[in-house]
Amino acid sequence: MNPGWDFHAIAPVIIITATIVAVLIADFFFEYRGRFRTQQIASLGVLAAMIPIITLAVDGGTREMFNGGFVVDPYSLVFQGFFLAAAYISMLLSVDYIGDGDYYQGEFYVLLLTSVLGMLVMSSARDLISIFVALETISIPTFVLAGWRKHDPKSNEAAIKYYLIGVMSSAVMLYGMSLVFGLTGSTLLSEIADKVRTLDSPLLIVAGFLTIAGFAFKVSAVPFHFWAPDTYEGAPTPVTAFLSVASKVGGFVALLSVVWFGFSPNSAMFQPVLWGLAAASLILGNLVALRQTNIVRMLAYSSIAQGGFILVPFAVASDGGAWTSSIQSVVIYTLIYGAMNLGAFAIVIALARRTRSAEITSFAGLGQYAPGMAIVMSMFLFSLAGVPPFAGWFAKFTMFRAALDANTPAATVLAALAAVSSVIAFFYYARVAREMWFHQPPEGADVHPIRTPVALNAAVVICAAIVIAVGVYPQLFARLGDLAAGG
Amino acid sequence: MIVQNIFFWVLALAMVLGAIGVVRSQNVVHAALYLVVVMAGAAAQYILLAAEFVAWVQVIIYIGAVIILFLFGIMLTRAPMGGDTKLDNDQRWPAAVVSVFLAGVLGALLIDAFGKKEIVISGAKGEQLLQVGKAGHLADSIFTAYVVPFEVVSILLLAALVGAVVIARRD
Amino acid sequence: MILNQFLILAAVLFCIGVYGVLARRNGVLVLMSVELMLNAVNINLIAFSAYLRETAGEVFALFVITIAAAEVGVGLAIVLLIYRNLHSPDLDHVEQLKG
Repeated sequence: MNPGWDFHAIAPVIIITATIVAVLIADFFFEYRGRFRTQQIASLGVLAAMIPIITLAVDGGTREMFNGGFVVDPYSLVFQGFFLAAAYISMLLSVDYIGDGDYYQGEFYVLLLTSVLGMLVMSSARDLISIFVALETISIPTFVLAGWRKHDPKSNEAAIKYYLIGVMSSAVMLYGMSLVFGLTGSTLLSEIADKVRTLDSPLLIVAGFLTIAGFAFKVSAVPFHFWAPDTYEGAPTPVTAFLSVASKVGGFVALLSVVWFGFSPNSAMFQPVLWGLAAASLILGNLVALRQTNIVRMLAYSSIAQGGFILVPFAVASDGGAWTSSIQSVVIYTLIYGAMNLGAFAIVIALARRTRSAEITSFAGLGQYAPGMAIVMSMFLFSLAGVPPFAGWFAKFTMFRAALDANTPAATVLAALAAVSSVIAFFYYARVAREMWFHQPPEGADVHPIRTPVALNAAVVICAAIVIAVGVYPQLFARLGDLAAGG
Repeated sequence: MIVQNIFFWVLALAMVLGAIGVVRSQNVVHAALYLVVVMAGAAAQYILLAAEFVAWVQVIIYIGAVIILFLFGIMLTRAPMGGDTKLDNDQRWPAAVVSVFLAGVLGALLIDAFGKKEIVISGAKGEQLLQVGKAGHLADSIFTAYVVPFEVVSILLLAALVGAVVIARRD
Repeated sequence: MILNQFLILAAVLFCIGVYGVLARRNGVLVLMSVELMLNAVNINLIAFSAYLRETAGEVFALFVITIAAAEVGVGLAIVLLIYRNLHSPDLDHVEQLKG
């Protein structure tokens, strides 16, 4: 019996799978000094996987397989492209870090690519089983990656905390999903949406709450955020960059898919919960970030707060027009957030090569001895704060537009909260900039110009280019947002 | 009907007592063995629900592999077996309150949602009406509708294997 | 047999698992409690599958079992790593990073 596979549609997935196997086997043949070649093979595979994404996008239309369980449409293509780009940049960030530190290399890229495979499948998954499997495929390799620095107790602690909270949240999410299956009779999101439209049961609301709670851990929304600062601080910094961007957005795609395709007809299932999560993340993320002295912890709380901004459109969407602008906002914000955050982490990694420290005070005087780095870092910081002409302003703009489009009192309150949070956030981003430009380098610091490896430079250039280009000409990403929401 | 109900209640009692043993026992190896009781009980429940394939997968993978992994982990980490080390932290009472409250809420909601709806397994003449558990139906479903998660899980298992070896290696 | 028998049994097991996750100090024991929760999920899925006559629930349960096995493998490797560095499987000793 012919299962009816559309190979063009699943081409990216197949290419990444082939790359994983190729890297694993190739690692066997490279001698110690040539291990970095595994990164080259991995990068090649990621770039190769982008080709079918482009051809599918040009081809247009929606491809459905397996009864609608696996869908390739503009929504999924936008995210798949994003994940591949984020993976490519993450690999650029890690090649020197992992190589110099004498950690396992080939296996690192195998695990990274497996996580990416999960993200690709997640973008196309439209039924609960696929979403669950994709979510676990994203997470389980990252548990191991967080502990990659085996002799560092902080890395060990990062791994175990992340792992235990991760598996517990999976179990909670699964319990919610099992109840959703029981109440609606199907795991297919489209059929679930049909059933919840008319189903009025408190158990359904609890089921929705439990499912969303599981996803909330993944995107480190408050109050499920406790693992994030410790894990971000303890894990190897390229892994942290990957977690904060790719893994987090993977969680958001899962949340978006389930809420939009599955729960949307019945807003009681998700709206109150998401409103609470958004508000809490905005408040707590920004306030605690103010008190941080460690740049990685600050970026961790910053990404919790950014997660709050991304949740705002979810929380205010209701039937009709507001959904479109909400989806657009989420898509655009996640794309821009990815570029800004990866760029910021790239600079943190570059600087840590010299200063061997992650304290904000180690940034002091950077404007004097490494002005290029300081300029780029300031760009990323101000973009995160939402200052024009860097891309962050457009991200915040779409978020406010979605909130105001919804036009309910709850939405307006949330928008006000988001505005206040943005102002608070500006202060801790600006503090780092102040260290760089207005403070002197610490006594006895090495102030020779910093030479960074090619890969790190490439990563910074790509992220900076995106941040500037989209900031000045937002139509680039707005078009993507339109496609995704329309599709 | 009566026989199935008797089996269910006996198994349910054993499973709940086993579960309490897992979370309250002061000996780690005993906790693992209580977990075996729970999992074996679950496998028997699946057979009651005419899901024989899943029941045997449960026995082979969960009891046959996962519990053995746990026992190895206990052995290799020289977990305290004497019973003189406290295995619980200080949050026992808040945890118990949360747990009981959650059970109450879920129980009430479940009764409200499903009442006394019955699961129909056998027909009037005693033949088995429930066919969804047959291996053939499961295979149809997995290899047509759910083949993408199936293949992805194989890569995931490969990655988990590689990752576990890298992390657990002594070097 | 009533559907709710199985569902309430699963709910009780799930909550006992929640207690275990919150109250236990040893990493391996926390993991065992998570396994309790996952078994509860599986009972839910199989019971619903039988009630609704839908194969999807049993397929879901099979995937849960498989992924639980992968998780336990990875988790015990991490616990082993911590034990080797700290010489104690106690999670209370893992306190390097401030909360």
